[in-house]
Amino acid sequence: MSEELVMPRLSDTMEEGTIGRWLVHEGDAFAAGDVLAEIETDKATMEFQAYDAGTVLRILVGDGETVALGAPIAIVGAEGETADEAASAGNGATIQPPQEEAAAEPEPEPKAAAAEPEPKAAPARKPSKSSSKAKAAAGNGSRATAALRVSPIARRMADEAGIDLAAMAGRGSGPEGRVVKADVERLISSGELTRPAAADAPPATESAPAEGEIRELTPMLKAVATRMTQSKQTVPHFYVESEIDMTRAMQLRAELNSGLADSGDKISVNDLIVRASALALIQHPQAHRSYVDGKHVYHTHANVGIAVALDDGLIVPVLNEADTKPVREISRETRDLAGRARAGKLKQREIEGATFSVSNLGMFDVANFEAIINPPESAIIAVGATVDRPVVVDGEIVVRKIMRVTLSCDHRACSGADGAKLLLTIKQLLQSPSLLLV
Amino acid sequence: MADLTYREALRRALDDELARDPDVFLMGEEIGRFEGSYKVTAGLWQKYGPERVRETPISEEGFVGAGIGAAMMGLRPVVEIMTINFILVAMDQIINHAAKIRYMFGGAVGVPMVIRTPGGAGAQLTAQHSQSLEAWFAGCPGMKVVAPASVADAYGMMKTAIRDDDPVLFCENLVMYNVTGTMPDDPDYTVPLGRAAVVREGRDLTLVAHSYTVQRALRVADTMSRDGIEIEVVDLRSLRPLDAETVAESVRKTSRALIAEEGWSTYGVGAELAARIHRLCFDDLDAPVERVGGAEVPMPYSKPLELAALPLESKIEAAARGLLAESGIA
Repeated sequence: MSEELVMPRLSDTMEEGTIGRWLVHEGDAFAAGDVLAEIETDKATMEFQAYDAGTVLRILVGDGETVALGAPIAIVGAEGETADEAASAGNGATIQPPQEEAAAEPEPEPKAAAAEPEPKAAPARKPSKSSSKAKAAAGNGSRATAALRVSPIARRMADEAGIDLAAMAGRGSGPEGRVVKADVERLISSGELTRPAAADAPPATESAPAEGEIRELTPMLKAVATRMTQSKQTVPHFYVESEIDMTRAMQLRAELNSGLADSGDKISVNDLIVRASALALIQHPQAHRSYVDGKHVYHTHANVGIAVALDDGLIVPVLNEADTKPVREISRETRDLAGRARAGKLKQREIEGATFSVSNLGMFDVANFEAIINPPESAIIAVGATVDRPVVVDGEIVVRKIMRVTLSCDHRACSGADGAKLLLTIKQLLQSPSLLLV
Repeated sequence: MADLTYREALRRALDDELARDPDVFLMGEEIGRFEGSYKVTAGLWQKYGPERVRETPISEEGFVGAGIGAAMMGLRPVVEIMTINFILVAMDQIINHAAKIRYMFGGAVGVPMVIRTPGGAGAQLTAQHSQSLEAWFAGCPGMKVVAPASVADAYGMMKTAIRDDDPVLFCENLVMYNVTGTMPDDPDYTVPLGRAAVVREGRDLTLVAHSYTVQRALRVADTMSRDGIEIEVVDLRSLRPLDAETVAESVRKTSRALIAEEGWSTYGVGAELAARIHRLCFDDLDAPVERVGGAEVPMPYSKPLELAALPLESKIEAAARGLLAESGIA
C-alpha cells in the first residue's frame, strides 16, 4: 500500500519547509530510521527519518523547493508498486522528526486506515534492527512493531534518572514489550543505557577520521555553522573586556555549598555569573534589546542561553527569566538543562528565546576569549578561568582570584558605553556577591 | 479485648446507642419477638420494648418512609431491611427523599437515619437474593454508604452512623455475620465514616476491597506472600464518602492497583476507583488498574455455577498475578 509523505512540523513556528536535499532517489529502498531528506525549517536544518521501511516511488518536491506544512512531498510504498496506486491510497503521518520531544507527548494513534501495512509487503519493508533512533521514533504513538511502550511510572523514573529508553523499544518485560518499573530499576542498578544520546550520533563520527576523509555535518553542526557565519557577517560586533575580582564570590560559593552539602545542590561559578548577568541586563535595557529589521525589540526578562559543549559541537539551552530566579534555582535548572543537552534530550522550546548568552571556557584554563553573538541576542559574555593573581588593592600588592571576561555586543542594538555599563554592573555584582542573593 | 462475632458487634453497637440516646429506635420486619432474620437484634425487644424495637409489616417502602419522617422530626431511626435485595421497593424513599431532603429544605431539616441491611452471596440463594447493590446507592449525592469488613469496624461504624446527621446505608454481609474478631474494650470506640484503612501492608500491589471481599483479599495476600509477593490490602470501609486518597497513597507506593468486589464490575466500585486512581496516580502506575467483580449474570442457583460467578480468592489471585506479570514480576 503506497502512502504520501507530507511536510512534517519540525518546529513550533514553521508554516512551510524547504527540502534541503533528498538523500534517497526514486526507486530506492529505505529502512526504518533511514534519513530520507534534510528539511530546512525556520529554525534549523533537520533530518527527516522514516520510521517504516519502504521504497521511494516518487519525489514530489525537489531539492531547494518549499512547500506548506502537510503538503505531500513524496510517495512511498512497496518495491514494484507504482506511484499511481498511491494517489488513491494517500494518507499521511508516516514520518517522525528526529527530535525526542514527541516521546513525551505521544501523538494520537494513526487512523485505522493507515494502520495496516500491506500483508504481502516486499522484503524492504522489514523493520530495521540497527537503528535505536528509529525505534525511538517509532515509539511515538505509532504502528511500528518495535514501538516503545513505557508504563507511566517507568517513564517518570527513566526521566528522573536521565535514562534514554529508546533502545528498550519492544524489549520491556510488560505486554508487547512495554518497559515497566522493574526494567528501569534494573537499568538504573546496572548503569546500562545511562549514556547520553550522543551514542546515537551518525555512525560516521564514531570511528577516528582518516586523512582527507570527508564527512557531512550533522544538522546541529550545520546550524551552528550557518548561524555563526550569518552573525559574523551581518552583526557588527564590538568587544569590551574586564577583569573581575572573584575572591568574595568564591568565598560566597564555598559558604553556600557547605550549607547545601546535604541537599544535593551545588552552586557553580557559572551560576553566579548567570545570576549577575540577568540582574545587570534588567538594569540596562539599552544593552538588552534585539536589533530586528531596523527596529529595537526590548526584553523585560533575561532569558539566558548557556553554551554547553558536546562531544562534537555545542548547544545553547535557555534558562528563562533568570532575573526572577534565585541562585539555587538557576543552579538546579542549569544542571538539568546541561544534562539533557548532553543527552540530546532538549526540547525545541528549550533552545529558543534567549536574550543573552554566557559562554564559559574557564574549565579549559582559558585566560580570555571572544564569543560570537547568537542573533537576535544583543550580547554574549565570554568567561575565562579564575586564577590567583597579584593585584594592587589600596596601594598593596595582594593575591586575588581574578577572572577575565569579554562582552561581545551588537553595535546596532547598543553603543560601546551601553555595553561597558552592562559589564561594569556584572562586575560590581560579582565583586559584591551578596547582592546576588537578594 | 474480647472476641466477638460481627453479628454480636452490631448488636452491641445498637444496644449501646439505644441505651445512650432515647431518640434512637429500631424498626423492621421480625426484628422484635423473632429477633430478626439474622438475629442481629436478639434480646433488644425484650430489653427496650416494642416502642423502641418496632415490628413492621412486609412493607419496605412504607417503613423506610416512616423512618424518614421520624428522622425529620428529630428521632434517630435504625431501619433494618432484611437483605439488600428487598431495598429496591424502597428506592424512591431513599434516593428521592432521604438523600435529598436536607438539600431541598435548604438545610433546615435532615434525615439522621440508618438503614442497615446485609448483602452478599454464597449460600445458593440465587438471582434475587444474592446481590451486592451498594454501588447503586454510593452513586447518589446525599447518601452515605458504608460496608465494614471487620468486627471492630462493624461496632465502631454503626455507632458513628447512628450519630451521623445524614442518611447512612449500612451494608452488612450475610457471610460476615459469623466471622469473629477482636472488639476494642473502649466503650466509646467509634470509627469515622469516609476513611479507608490499610489492613495489610505490602510493596508489590494494592488490593482494594470492601465488605466480605476484604477477607478474601487478606487470604490472597497470605497465599501470595509465601511466594515473596507482598500485597497491600486496603479496606475501603466507606463507599461514600470515598477515601480515594488512602488508596492513592498506597498505589503511589506499589505502582499497581487491583480492585475486587462482589458486585458487578460494570459501573461498580472498581469502576469509580479506577477513574480516581488514574487521575491521582497516573505517573505512578506501572500497569493498568485492574478489577475483579462478580460475573455479569443473575446469580445462578447451581453450586458450581455460583462458585464460578463469585469473585473467589482464585480469581483475585489470578488477576493479581496477571498485573504483576505485566510488570515483569513473578
